[in-house]
Amino acid sequence: MKVVYTDVLVIGGGLAGLRMAIAAKRRGHDAVILSLVPPKRSHSKAAQGGMQASLGNVIKGQGDNEDVHFEDTVRGSDWGADQAVVRMFVNTAPKAVRELAAWGVPWSRVRRGDRTVIINGQKVTITERDEAHGLMAQRDFGGTKKWRTCYVSDGTGHAMLQAVGDQAIGSGIPVHERAEALALIHDGGRCYGAVVRDLIDGELTAYVAKATAIATGGAGRLYRVTTNAVICEGIGHALALESGAAALGNMEAVQFHPTGIFPAGILVTEGCRGDGGLLKDVDGHRFMPDYEPEKKELASRDVVSRRMEEHIRKGKGVGSRFGDHLWLDITLLGEKHIKTNLREVFEICHHFLGIDPTKDLVAVRPAQHYTMGGVRTKPTGESPTLKGLFAAGEAACWDMHGFNRLGGNSVAETVVAGMIVGEFIADFCDDPGNEFNLPTGLVREFVEREQAKLDALVASRGTEDASALKARMQEIMTAKVGIFRTGRDLEEAVAELQQLLARSRNIGLRTPSPGPNPELVTAYRVQKMLKLALTVAYGALTRTESRGAHFREDHPRRDDAQWLKRTLATWRDGASLPELNYEPLDIAKMELPPGWRGYGAKDYVDHPDTPRRQAEVDALKTQYAGDRFALQRALLPYDDLLPARLRGRNERIDEPFGGTGRAA
Amino acid sequence: MDTSSSIVTGAGLADAVRKSRLPARLDVVQSATGLVLALFMWGHMFFVSSILLGKDAMWTITKMFEGYFIFGRAYPGIVSVVVAVIVLLLVVHAALAVRKFPINYRQLRTYRGHMKLMRHEDTTLWYWQFVTGFALFFLAAPHLFQMLTQPGLIGPYESSDRVWSYHWWPLYLLLLFAVEVHGGVGLYRLAVKWGWFAGSNPDATRRRLKALKWALTVFFLALGLATLAAYIRIGIEHADRVGERYVPASVQPGAVK
Amino acid sequence: MSMFRPTATHKVIPLVPADGAQPGNGGRIRVHAMRYNPRDPGNAPRLQTYELEQAEGMTLFIALSEIREKQDPSLQFDFVCRAGICGSCAMVINGRPGLACRTLTKAVGPDITLLPLPGFELIGDLSVNTGKWMRAMSERLEAWVHMKEAELDLTRIEARMEPELAEQIYELDRCIECGCCVAGCGTVRMREAFVGAVGLNKIARFRLDPRDTRDDDDFYELVGDDDGVFGCMSLLGCHDVCPKQLPLATQIAFVRRKMAAVGFR
Ligand SMILES: Cc1cc2nc3c(=O)[nH]c(=O)nc-3n(C[C@H](O)[C@H](O)[C@H](O)COP(=O)(O)OP(=O)(O)OC[C@H]3O[C@@H](n4cnc5c(N)ncnc54)[C@H](O)[C@@H]3O)c2cc1C
Ligand code: HEM
Ligand code: HEM
Ligand code: SF4
Ligand code: F3S
Ligand code: FES
Repeated sequence: MKVVYTDVLVIGGGLAGLRMAIAAKRRGHDAVILSLVPPKRSHSKAAQGGMQASLGNVIKGQGDNEDVHFEDTVRGSDWGADQAVVRMFVNTAPKAVRELAAWGVPWSRVRRGDRTVIINGQKVTITERDEAHGLMAQRDFGGTKKWRTCYVSDGTGHAMLQAVGDQAIGSGIPVHERAEALALIHDGGRCYGAVVRDLIDGELTAYVAKATAIATGGAGRLYRVTTNAVICEGIGHALALESGAAALGNMEAVQFHPTGIFPAGILVTEGCRGDGGLLKDVDGHRFMPDYEPEKKELASRDVVSRRMEEHIRKGKGVGSRFGDHLWLDITLLGEKHIKTNLREVFEICHHFLGIDPTKDLVAVRPAQHYTMGGVRTKPTGESPTLKGLFAAGEAACWDMHGFNRLGGNSVAETVVAGMIVGEFIADFCDDPGNEFNLPTGLVREFVEREQAKLDALVASRGTEDASALKARMQEIMTAKVGIFRTGRDLEEAVAELQQLLARSRNIGLRTPSPGPNPELVTAYRVQKMLKLALTVAYGALTRTESRGAHFREDHPRRDDAQWLKRTLATWRDGASLPELNYEPLDIAKMELPPGWRGYGAKDYVDHPDTPRRQAEVDALKTQYAGDRFALQRALLPYDDLLPARLRGRNERIDEPFGGTGRAA
Repeated sequence: MDTSSSIVTGAGLADAVRKSRLPARLDVVQSATGLVLALFMWGHMFFVSSILLGKDAMWTITKMFEGYFIFGRAYPGIVSVVVAVIVLLLVVHAALAVRKFPINYRQLRTYRGHMKLMRHEDTTLWYWQFVTGFALFFLAAPHLFQMLTQPGLIGPYESSDRVWSYHWWPLYLLLLFAVEVHGGVGLYRLAVKWGWFAGSNPDATRRRLKALKWALTVFFLALGLATLAAYIRIGIEHADRVGERYVPASVQPGAVK
Repeated sequence: MSMFRPTATHKVIPLVPADGAQPGNGGRIRVHAMRYNPRDPGNAPRLQTYELEQAEGMTLFIALSEIREKQDPSLQFDFVCRAGICGSCAMVINGRPGLACRTLTKAVGPDITLLPLPGFELIGDLSVNTGKWMRAMSERLEAWVHMKEAELDLTRIEARMEPELAEQIYELDRCIECGCCVAGCGTVRMREAFVGAVGLNKIARFRLDPRDTRDDDDFYELVGDDDGVFGCMSLLGCHDVCPKQLPLATQIAFVRRKMAAVGFR
């Protein structure tokens, strides 16, 4: 049995995983990163639009600060987020983006003077301040009050991953590429590492670590139409779920992005709309203002996606052999803007649609995009139920996104959580109380169990085809657990997914070889993915309200009285459904008590505690009027939740520190 | 040396021994010798082609190089000196260029395989540059040896006799093709290698350079072939008087030695 | 570049067909893929042919996935983003390195020969270990921003940078480490120690970056030899196959000039 020992095992080489490993390494702990693919090929690469951080450099971002970012994020989440975590996040995001600037990310910069932008379909001239010249620029994104999204042309994720990946190499952190974690090694209360399969030779190795962190990204491939990469299959989520000890939070919260190109599902960034692009229907009519007069195309993603599907249902879609779609019109932005600031979009349209987006309309339809749910953690990033297991990034439910995450908040989360959780992992490793004496028997037992499962698949004379099961699962999820959900559809989905799960135990391989066999990979993954799909579908069926991206046609209202709580799913070995528990969100501790989001439907059922908390909040607001920091401390203290070196205010043009350095 | 890397993160370069500056210099020398040789060849081709303007024209040019119009009499030794300089350049150039040759059969085979698969013009052109360079080793040597040792035997009849009656024309034919292909590609490569003339649209520049390169090669080949034909024609006409030296009518009475 | 045969990936075929077209009436295509498992001693490289119906807008990603799902589940290849941005799927398509995921079968068919990217360790069939190569290259060239050790004060306003400079750096930062330039370079093929265009481009990128404290003497230590910039024979295959159209020709020339200047100081 091969065993690798390290202080910190990071599963996942995307932005979150890399940043966590760097944090741990810089604190003196050895870290090993596992990744299915070379880390710079992780799906973080695909983020085009940008990263939110309240710098307020551009004129349209003037007045932006942590408080505005906080409110946007909580409203975006439809009050599903953990507000303390959101506070930690919004305060660290400017630091994260500035760190990345120092690490070499070529953020697009502000140019002083006049420039023409498209706002609401109109050309408008805005004038950037002299004192902002050369600082990082921000663009408009859905669901935000201010222009807050920092960007690198439209290759933001690429540039970030490049810089963070390079720093990881510079820090000498080994990345074991083409390695797949198959199971966590644990004793029900403490995690000791993972059983890992080498995708080149098929061998299993035990990685034993003081701290294990999951940063495996999203699970978009549960769906047929998704913007996610083909490796986003949720295996990391499944690792936690199959442990039986760690829980997954809010898996039913799945985001659909308004503009996947049709029919391939490849994303064109929200930046298209942020920069002034419009959505049009079969008649060439701009329909979003009819539904959302205030935010129009730039309401939050869940709202825009639903409005688009609603409009298609009204017969206003553009027919095609593959089904109906709508148009995204960016021609009004002009060739120069498209070829510089939206270059990736230009290339995608050119290569995959064969059109020129400076002249032609782009066929789009909403596609699965983001997994809000994930491994439930405390604000430190550690699982509350499985000690030594951490999670960050899209795979985690840290929970700053609640039921809908804002564009640009996700790559921001990866690096911010990477910084914060990385520090806590280092603290965890520093603590002598967390040393362990691991019986090798336990490690052996886990490795042998995984080996036996693989051997059984290879030897199986089963009749089920893994690819076919997977395709069917993706079909069900897209058709029945999609943007609009109903109890009946969801019941059918759960029932059929259960059948598929049963059938997946009878998979037979056409090419039964043990080594680097792609069919074997599909086979063991589909078994895991089905459990995850069931967790999503069952969670959606049970949650009889609509919140954020989770929309039940039969329960169209948000119901705070019943459902202001987080779904926690665990899976017992051999079960055919997850066990669901609920963790209530405490209104008494909310800085922003539940209310209307400012877009979307206005009717919701209030929680009985909301008015009381609202009164408290209003009182404090009068008391501390004029001092936003004092007010904030009174409303929701969070400083002690942050690692010491990440505390502190953020300097802005309009909030200068003066010559002396950091303010308290 | 105190490199800034001694104060930067990451595995330090600070302890490393300072790298030799030689590769940089050799690269520049290789290009410089190539450039001078190529420009020399342009001149060379014009001078030898003076035969197309008539025997007298060529005679005049020849004598000019021998210092006849400065000193009042011919010193073929001057030519020898020029030849020696060229030989030196050529040796240096060749010695440096050989470093780029495939060092064994496996490398050669790999390159050829790659070239066939890629069907990419610049990749193929390098192969021809290599082949012609290799050929130039052998083809240029006798010619230069001849010019070095017998600089006096250059002239309308002398050269024509050599080309025809002493059977040098097959060598010249090969040499002509080799040197024109090699020099043409070489000049183009020099421009892209050092980024000369890149301008605001380097891809367009490169297209234009490539076109120019082909035009020059074709032009000099045509010129060279015509010249060779002229020598051959004169050589055939003069075949029965091999060894007779040319004396222009203008200088005939007194100048004959 | 138009002076060359356009690489297949640059051709544009409209996805939405003329009215009345049926899905899958695009005719038959034949994919000839190299099969080879280097870990199996009794195994020799060979081409295996798969025939399939061409669908509208079919890319090699779609075609190969279909082959794996319906015909041969053992065929190995690598796709991640399937959108031309991650650099995983580079392979030799009808003789030229390119990104398979954004190559439309119509543009290269009906007979499509696929070989794994040469110059990299072969994992099996069409899958090669570009990641390992790139990591080694990055370590060798110290391809990361070298900062002053003093800890940054992250609470303060960021350092300014001219917008044009940021754009110039991004232009070079767009490399997706796909390896096409390496596979397309006759020099690397002959001499494996040669850094290749991807590495030289990185040097140009970090040299441009004011946040990197290194100077030309430092860069000379990394690429000032015949395995570095002076080994490049200006074949420009790299430039012509780079799927991101990086300005490799001018960047390599630029690094050469700067490094040559160091040689004469
Ligand atoms: C097309 C697209 C555009 C986007 N644009 C934006 C945007 O503009 N702004 C924004 O904020 N967000 C955007 N997002 C979302 C954002 O990019 C992702 O949520 C985020 O990058 C996820 O990062 P991560 O580090 O959590 O995971 P990833 O980057 O997905 O990394 C996951 C890592 O885990 C590894 N891995 C997975 N499973 C295993 C296993 N079993 N064993 C070992 N390793 C494993 C993978 O190899 C990979 O290295 C976009 C997403 C998509 C799909
Ligand atoms: C013995 C004879 C010669 C040999 C073996 C030879 C070989 C070569 C080779 C192999 C190269 C390519 C070098 C590289 O890729 O870096 C080269 C380049 C070049 N050659 Fe020659 N050559 C010879 C003679 C000549 C002559 C006579 C000329 C003049 C016309 C010439 C002009 C050039 C030029 C201009 C270059 C480009 C220089 C560069 O890339 O730096 N060569 N030569
Ligand atoms: C200083 C050196 C040189 C001198 C003085 C010189 C002189 C001449 C002369 C006089 C001729 C006419 C034929 C003859 O007399 O035999 C000639 C022809 C030729 N030389 Fe040279 N030469 C020199 C160097 C070179 C070099 C370096 C090359 C190529 C590598 C070269 C290639 C040729 C060719 C190809 C011809 C045939 C011309 C044609 O067909 O037009 N020469 N040279
Ligand atoms: S330079 Fe171009 S071809 Fe080379 S690795 Fe980068 S993107 Fe690929
Ligand atoms: S193809 Fe190779 S030789 Fe140089 S110009 Fe490009 S690296
Ligand atoms: S799969 Fe990412 S570039 Fe082709």
